[in-house]
Amino acid sequence: MQPSGFKSLRLGIVLLLALSVGGLSLGAQTGAQRVAAATAPAIGLACTYGPTFTVDAKTGIITISDGNTVFMWSYSVGGQPFQYPGPVLCVNQGDTVTVIFHNTLSEDSSIIFPGQTNVLANGAPAQPQFDGTGKATSLTNVAPANGGSMTYSFVASNPGTYLYQSGTNPEKQARMGLSGALIVRPTSGANFAYNRADSRFTPEEEFLVFLTEIDPYQHSAAEQNLPFDLTTYHVHYWLLNGRTFPDTIADNFATRLPSQPYGSLARIHPYDATAHPYPGLARYINAGSEEYSHHPHGHNGVVIGRDGQPVAGPAGQDMSFEKYAINIGPGQTWDVLMQWYDAENYSMANPIPVTVPDISNMTTGMFYSGSPYLGVKGTLPPGTSSLNQCGEYYIISHNHALFQLDAWGMTMAGQITYLRIDPPLPNNCP
Amino acid sequence: MKKHISRRDFLKLAGGAAVIAAGVGVLPPFVRKALAPDEVVEAQTPAPDLYWAGTDGWIYLPPDPPVGFYFPDDYAPAPFNTYIFGFRNVTGLTTVQKNNQKNHAQHNAPLFWANQYDPAHPKDFRVQLTNLGLGQRPDLVDSHTLHWHGFRNVIPFFDGEPTGSISVPIGRDFTYVYRPRDPGTYMYHCHVEDVEHVHMGMTGPVFIRPLQNGNTALYPSGKYVYNDGDGSTGHDREFVMFMSEVWAEAHWCDSHIQLPDWSDYHADFSLLNGRVYPDTIAPNSPINAATSINAHSVQRDANGELVAPVGYPQLQYQPLSSLITCKPGERVLLRFINLGFREAAMTLAGIKMRIVGRDATLMRGRDGTDTSYVTNTVLASAGESFDAIFTAPAYTGGSGSSGHGYDTYMVYNRRLTQVSNLSAGGFGGQATEVRVYPSGVAAQQYPNDWGM
Repeated sequence: MQPSGFKSLRLGIVLLLALSVGGLSLGAQTGAQRVAAATAPAIGLACTYGPTFTVDAKTGIITISDGNTVFMWSYSVGGQPFQYPGPVLCVNQGDTVTVIFHNTLSEDSSIIFPGQTNVLANGAPAQPQFDGTGKATSLTNVAPANGGSMTYSFVASNPGTYLYQSGTNPEKQARMGLSGALIVRPTSGANFAYNRADSRFTPEEEFLVFLTEIDPYQHSAAEQNLPFDLTTYHVHYWLLNGRTFPDTIADNFATRLPSQPYGSLARIHPYDATAHPYPGLARYINAGSEEYSHHPHGHNGVVIGRDGQPVAGPAGQDMSFEKYAINIGPGQTWDVLMQWYDAENYSMANPIPVTVPDISNMTTGMFYSGSPYLGVKGTLPPGTSSLNQCGEYYIISHNHALFQLDAWGMTMAGQITYLRIDPPLPNNCP
Repeated sequence: MKKHISRRDFLKLAGGAAVIAAGVGVLPPFVRKALAPDEVVEAQTPAPDLYWAGTDGWIYLPPDPPVGFYFPDDYAPAPFNTYIFGFRNVTGLTTVQKNNQKNHAQHNAPLFWANQYDPAHPKDFRVQLTNLGLGQRPDLVDSHTLHWHGFRNVIPFFDGEPTGSISVPIGRDFTYVYRPRDPGTYMYHCHVEDVEHVHMGMTGPVFIRPLQNGNTALYPSGKYVYNDGDGSTGHDREFVMFMSEVWAEAHWCDSHIQLPDWSDYHADFSLLNGRVYPDTIAPNSPINAATSINAHSVQRDANGELVAPVGYPQLQYQPLSSLITCKPGERVLLRFINLGFREAAMTLAGIKMRIVGRDATLMRGRDGTDTSYVTNTVLASAGESFDAIFTAPAYTGGSGSSGHGYDTYMVYNRRLTQVSNLSAGGFGGQATEVRVYPSGVAAQQYPNDWGM
């Protein structure tokens, strides 16, 4: 429904803002982000490196692209400002990982590390906690409310993609935002997902797809310290790396999103047998509470790992599978190779086998270059603006439960991002 | 068209020829793409294989009980009750007939199919799209597109995602050109305002037949789902099972110039091939088999209007049956496609299915490891497809057949909220039947053909 041009105009303005922070012109930043941004790429996985981490649970505010703000709880790097989601913890296989956890919240909290074994809490085996009647109160040892601490440690034995989250009242605390990603790199190297030759990827093309959801009434109740009836739980916001579209495609550590540091634009080059032989890697994590079905256009992902395990048979057989719907369950992680082939090599010299309509006979999108060809910019209708820089392709990737692209009534504002395909190097792209 | 082959293309062609002899389908996907030759020489601007029109229209769902004041829609012309957006196949219609189809969309959007691109006999597959506008909503000027969901390595120009490329305004035409190199089961939809246009019905099934078809050495019928190399996807009959949903409030909003809050979405009706049970087992609309080359050629009257299924005037714009007919011992392919927004658990009671494909991919690891599996239930997410094959059991004539002359096996969504028509008790929604006849089922002339 397009009763007027206002909505798309508004989106265009937001997008211009989003892209105007591109490149490395990061501008003024605060605390943790300045530290991380100094080493993190503008696009792609933005690691906080360990293996010893200090993590605070604290409160903060995020912005949604419908203009709303939401009160959150999240994990942040120790002593640094609030961020959501929690920092991407990157370690190497075999590391002894230590997470010193400080809880500034007004109730007991904790961190669980699903997929890790022999986790210690203050040096003793971590255990579920029970009240006096024998009823479980937390999935692991807690840091007491209002400034308590707990130190968790484990050996990162198996490479892969993992989730960490609150184990204390997770139906409240995890949904309030206490979750983050843990990446364990294999001994084979940082350009492999697992210790398998067929899990090799292009390190510059490693991306996080961290999926969460928000019932704004639950968050409002927590902010006002009021009870919340979980039977009324009803999600209105769906987030990708802690943002909603079009904020999702802004760079990592974009200045105007001070508490939402992680972008999700994927930027790659086409397959080339010599210059670019290996695929990219998308690390999917579902930290929400229902299944999400994510649909990358333009390629089938090759699912090579789930929940920190390569998809392989008992004798090492490859049991990976191609998917155009990455349907990931709550709490699951999937490792998905991604590659785009310029299958038809269309160009000015090898034109598409159809007459391109006159520009007055088509509606153009703001990422369209004006030309069908990779690396070519063409003419656009008068009065239209394009965010296309160098004839690069933009191919969407989104949740296919399409109502989850909505932000409480505003369409095209949820779990959406784009795959940006640049022309082969050397090119004219900034 | 100017033919230009670079050195890189030449190497691809040379390598491709050798590998095609060995069967491209068994190669790892990375290699498969790179080795495929990519030159097509055809006459200038050949006619499209199919011509599609986007517009709005009306369909029928069981009207009792009503859903608030949203359903049945008080604007609907009898015998219909639900407003939709959708596509129509206008291939072969005159301009006048084509323009008559404004406000006469069908649901689901028409199935189409094509053969896998054959490098030895290169031919592009062309689908022309026009936009007829919306009869019920002259205030809206939405463009439309055709997004082929799952098409690998598409360029944005042919992807139909409007932000990264172009879309088709009212009264204009655009031709999508495809070289479908990967056989399997897909879906397509308009991607403009996609939550609205998809949910309103601009969505349908599409599949690609493999190059291996015609090889009767691997399976007698010579019909396969993929280039399996061993006949494991061979089958005798095929039925598309396309799943979509209707949230009555959203459909009412669109006909009444209102906007729903999509984050309140829920499915009131769950549809199989555009209908709910028991309409799912009503006949197909009359189809001209001889002209059903890339899509069902549903019979049309002098105005270009769809001819309704015999005895079901209310299903005029829901032409596709879901009834599965077969004979004992036959292998039957079910192409499950979910373009609803909720997971569906499609269960075949009493017969095991083998899942041979998913998301237009043969169930094989990159090293060829067989990952197919046997199940009673296909758990399909939003935007996911499955290829399931079952072997029809022997005809028993037992109590279940009750003298009908066939055995019945139910197919239904075990997500029980989606297997009712909102009424108290009784099957509805995403359900259909497999009927095994002892004889008398002729060879299929097109997908979902009953053969009788």
